[in-house]
Amino acid sequence: MKKFIHLIVFALMLLPNFMSAQEEVGTPNKIWSYPVVYKYDEQVTWYFDLSTTTFAAGEDIYLWIWSPSEPDAGNWENSSDFAKLTYVSDKTWKFTLTPTLYFSKTPAEIAASAGFWCRLKDKTGTKQSVVTQIAYTDFSTFYTANEVIRSYPSRVSLNDGISILFNSNLVPGFDTATSVHFHSGMNNWAVKQEYQAWLPEIVEKTKLKNMGDGFYKMDLIPSQYYPDIPDGFIMTNLVFLMVKDEWAATTPDQVINAADYVPPPDPVFSFFPLQLSKKDFLGIIRKNNETGVNKLIYTITAGTVTLTGEFTGTVSEIKGFVNLVTPLQNVNVTEIHALIKDNNGRTISDTNIPLKTVD
Amino acid sequence: MKRKIICLMAVIGMLAIGCNDVDDGNHVDPITIYEKIGGEWNLMNLKMVDEVAKANAIEPNEENLSGLFNYENFKIKLNVDANHQPTTYEVLGNVPPLFALNGYWQLSSAFAQPNAQAVRILLYSDAQKTQQTDELRLTSVPGTKREMEIQLVRTSGGTPFITYIFKLGQN
Repeated sequence: MKKFIHLIVFALMLLPNFMSAQEEVGTPNKIWSYPVVYKYDEQVTWYFDLSTTTFAAGEDIYLWIWSPSEPDAGNWENSSDFAKLTYVSDKTWKFTLTPTLYFSKTPAEIAASAGFWCRLKDKTGTKQSVVTQIAYTDFSTFYTANEVIRSYPSRVSLNDGISILFNSNLVPGFDTATSVHFHSGMNNWAVKQEYQAWLPEIVEKTKLKNMGDGFYKMDLIPSQYYPDIPDGFIMTNLVFLMVKDEWAATTPDQVINAADYVPPPDPVFSFFPLQLSKKDFLGIIRKNNETGVNKLIYTITAGTVTLTGEFTGTVSEIKGFVNLVTPLQNVNVTEIHALIKDNNGRTISDTNIPLKTVD
Repeated sequence: MKRKIICLMAVIGMLAIGCNDVDDGNHVDPITIYEKIGGEWNLMNLKMVDEVAKANAIEPNEENLSGLFNYENFKIKLNVDANHQPTTYEVLGNVPPLFALNGYWQLSSAFAQPNAQAVRILLYSDAQKTQQTDELRLTSVPGTKREMEIQLVRTSGGTPFITYIFKLGQN
């Protein structure tokens, strides 16, 4: 009798395998999209890294999706061609769609839905992945965030997509733009794609997507976007500015650091000493300078006396001392004004410094 | 018995030293600081100390100015007469006048202070030494090594905010 029970239990254990006609192939390793962020009425490509599943490389795989709607309803055992993924490489497949068209839904309806829920399967439904959600990054907060630039992700990587959002309403002169272009480079312009307004194909390549109401978006994968990338290139940053029409207006310089790049510490500017009299030397010190900053240019005004000069230095430190002692010997002043600029013309400090009266 | 021996030893001891004629040598005047610091001194190092930063443990609180504003050529001549009395002084090397570049000088004391307070070098614009221009602190007096240190302390309302430290040497 005991043996008999064992047999029944064993049979029951086997039962689910016979009952389900499908083979569970596992969970997708990674799913991402390009563009990184997109509106529901924008064309997007979803990428599925299925290296963690038992799907074979290059196998025909179909998208079985039922939320926000079920375009291939009723065809589980014979998926339609429109639901077929395209094989990329390394057990990664892609699927390109415009959500509003594919699901026959408005952007608002999709936004109100439960999201994108699917399985990946073979044509006849004998193999299927686990139930999977394709994440959607909602970037609508950007429209009211009062930020000129926002990127997804916040750090850039050479081989991964990035979406850079631009709110032109916050930059003077962009209001009547017919197009906005991306003038950019990697590693402080070492490898660049300039906005060459006289070359039609470059005009097209650098053109931002108009999202309406003065909002624009640039989508790119650096390794594919930039020409002539040297072998072994390590990306440290993406520098850029947005250009209106044929250079009618530009934004200030922007920078997005690379994901695996540790940015240098913030610059530290200081005067030395903290208190001084007109009979002393004034030290001007700036540490942790940005690449390309190697000079401080000073204009010190004390009453009718103006002292100008410059100090050179390195990224780690630019330091110099101004002789107040000699020029202010016979000048009666209680404060001086210091204007310090760097070699790029940027104002580093513009301040009054009170002078102590020596006993 | 024991007391007698002690008394005896004391008497012998007194006999031994009692008639000693102590040799005090010939009389000489004690050596004054004027003798030690008179002459020409070269700058070895000039440091500017931010006393406010130092008091608040803020970095940096000192900077080296030795190579700036001609200080590599800085010399100070502290002239004394034949009797080692201070007369005039002069700063050479075309440096900025952190203190008056020439005039008359004297020390606040010709000898080191028992309370270890630095002797002051008082600078005057007139030979009568009535018009004081500046005051330096002699913080290290030369010994066998011909080196000394003087400090110029900037104070406002009695509170120091900058100290210039001059390390000087003689060839």
